Amino acid sequence: MIVKTLLAALVAGLIAGAFMTAAQELRVTPLILHAEEFESKGPAAEQPATEQPATTEQQHSHLKQQSTLDYALSALSPITPAYAHEDGEHEEGGIMFGMSRFSGTLMANLVAGAGFGLLLAGVSLVIGYPITLSNGALWGGCGWLAVHMLPAIGLPPELPGFPAADLQDRQIWWIATVVLSAAGLYLIVLRGEIVAKAAGLLVLVAPHLYGAPQPVDISSAVPAVLGAEFAVAALATTLAFWIVLGVISGFINDRFLKSA
Amino acid sequence: MATTTVSNVSLSLNDRITAGIFALLIGGFLVFGAGLANSAVLHDTAHDVRHSYGFPCH
Repeated sequence: MIVKTLLAALVAGLIAGAFMTAAQELRVTPLILHAEEFESKGPAAEQPATEQPATTEQQHSHLKQQSTLDYALSALSPITPAYAHEDGEHEEGGIMFGMSRFSGTLMANLVAGAGFGLLLAGVSLVIGYPITLSNGALWGGCGWLAVHMLPAIGLPPELPGFPAADLQDRQIWWIATVVLSAAGLYLIVLRGEIVAKAAGLLVLVAPHLYGAPQPVDISSAVPAVLGAEFAVAALATTLAFWIVLGVISGFINDRFLKSA
Repeated sequence: MATTTVSNVSLSLNDRITAGIFALLIGGFLVFGAGLANSAVLHDTAHDVRHSYGFPCH
């Protein structure tokens, strides 16, 4: 029975992960690829001013051509080179098993989807509120709030080439915020006492009062418009992912576990 | 019965907690591997995914 429960969560996560891959291709992935063109000429790698300054429009159109070509190549080629922004920091990098960029993304989505599916099911099992078809979308929405929306207040989804504070600090802040947000949502949504709801709000706000690690220098070669488009696209895409995950989890639970 | 409205998954309390903790551990491990692990190969494979999920990334 335990195995069956875990399997149900896993299947829901894999389906949602596959859906996520398709959803990402619509808007998020093109924006990442677009930003990577600017990233390679970041503030550190700026060209010396002695060279003839091309107008930005010319540069832009030139980069755009390059991007279409790069995109076509990366879609065709079974092996893609390691990303330029590593700057030799991770020389041994590269995509696992020499897969294409798309298959790497698909696999990572499947793994992340399965992981989030199991986390959602785990929370549901531990607190004793089952995920059903009728409340699945709400479960998904809360998952999105806890894992994406609330942490994004401090650390918005960033494009390649964006300035950022120390990676480890951000990861610790992010994990702490996800855990606190989940706990806060539980207190607010599922506990009846007004004290619990107030405490939940406090827990939600706490990491933001503490403050997310911010970069010292916020200049970036990547245009701000791209960043704004990307942040909205990323949050919208993950919202769709979580609602699909919640609804499918509920459906599988209703259909296959109830009768078991 | 009261219990059927609370849980339609027919697990005993003990089994439910065990399954839940298992799910949290495995799920956490998978999400960590896809989103946060500091390995170049994992990073490059999951690069676009990390960005689009808003994981803190390089």
